[in-house]
Amino acid sequence: MQNIRTGFVFDESLNAAFLAELFEGDTIYAETVFEDFLRDIPVYWERVETAYNNKNLPVLGTSVHTCKTLFGYVGFTDLQELCQQFENKCSVNTVEELRLDYLLLIQRKERAQHIIEKEYYRLRQFNGSNG
Amino acid sequence: MKLSCIIVEDIQIAADFLRKFCEKSDLVEVKGHFLNVADALDFLDQEKVDMLFLDVEMPGANGFELLDRLTYSPMIILTTSKTEYAFNAFQYHVDDYLKKPFTFKRFQEAIQKLQQKVAVPQTPANTTPTPAPTPAATTDTDFLFIKAEDKLIKLKKDDILFLESMRDYVKFVTPAKNYITYSTLKNMEEKLIDPNFLKVHRSYIVNINKIDDIRGNTIYLLGNQIPIGKGHKDEVAARLNIL
Repeated sequence: MQNIRTGFVFDESLNAAFLAELFEGDTIYAETVFEDFLRDIPVYWERVETAYNNKNLPVLGTSVHTCKTLFGYVGFTDLQELCQQFENKCSVNTVEELRLDYLLLIQRKERAQHIIEKEYYRLRQFNGSNG
Repeated sequence: MKLSCIIVEDIQIAADFLRKFCEKSDLVEVKGHFLNVADALDFLDQEKVDMLFLDVEMPGANGFELLDRLTYSPMIILTTSKTEYAFNAFQYHVDDYLKKPFTFKRFQEAIQKLQQKVAVPQTPANTTPTPAPTPAATTDTDFLFIKAEDKLIKLKKDDILFLESMRDYVKFVTPAKNYITYSTLKNMEEKLIDPNFLKVHRSYIVNINKIDDIRGNTIYLLGNQIPIGKGHKDEVAARLNIL
């Protein structure tokens, strides 16, 4: 990762220390990853919604598992943890029992997606003006 | 010398990071990226690699099912975001376990550990078992010393039933007692130059004089059951004169 740029500060809701270690200052690559996240999360989240609506708990668990990984790569380590808890509950709870957790997950996911959209455009601007 | 690898991973971001890390480290050459077990196995039927970066949860079969169906024993780095698979990783004798998302530093540690395990990485993964050393190459002693329990312990070779790899440790199993020493099985294999000892699996070296019988792909020694690795079957048959 050769493009080292200093000065970009990630949103405080992201795990900035982890992102600093992951990207090692390469904001060009960070922009790519954030773009990929925004491309992929709707696809994978649709699987979560479908599985929940179909009351398919095993698929719900594995679909959330996939989204959990994506959240990790853009610095949402706390949301990653929430996904892990939900994933664990999929093997012991019913869909009805998971309802409130699911609604919370949706809320957090929406917020995360919004933040990453904002960060992506900030990164584009930052990289554009520092290129 | 670079290690050859394939990436078996259904999440593109994760696979891209791996590929980037491999390029950056300059220690690993990526031969391919596969989104599922079936495609990876098709590739491995045609071309062998030194190591696999293997995700666990993928569409269709999972990573452990790929390991069950492998016909040889490359080094394995399991990549997953679930810590619960660590136990399965140990059971399958994987070489390392990377919890996603992992940093380049963590990746580098894992690769360097594999590099140390590879004694002579001249070619991609061995497709034929390493032949046993000739008697002229042996150290003609009937004992060896291992460092265990804070001392050097003298073990008679004839007392040893088998050696078992436990990641960075090796367990020596004798009828009286087991001993665990800080070493790799590869290191022990190089030091234990003795025609009576045979590597039968990526994680086991047995004393062939102590074998009671063999049933299917399992060797029985004094109540212990040792699997014969798929990549070691031919050599086991040859060395034990199995007709």
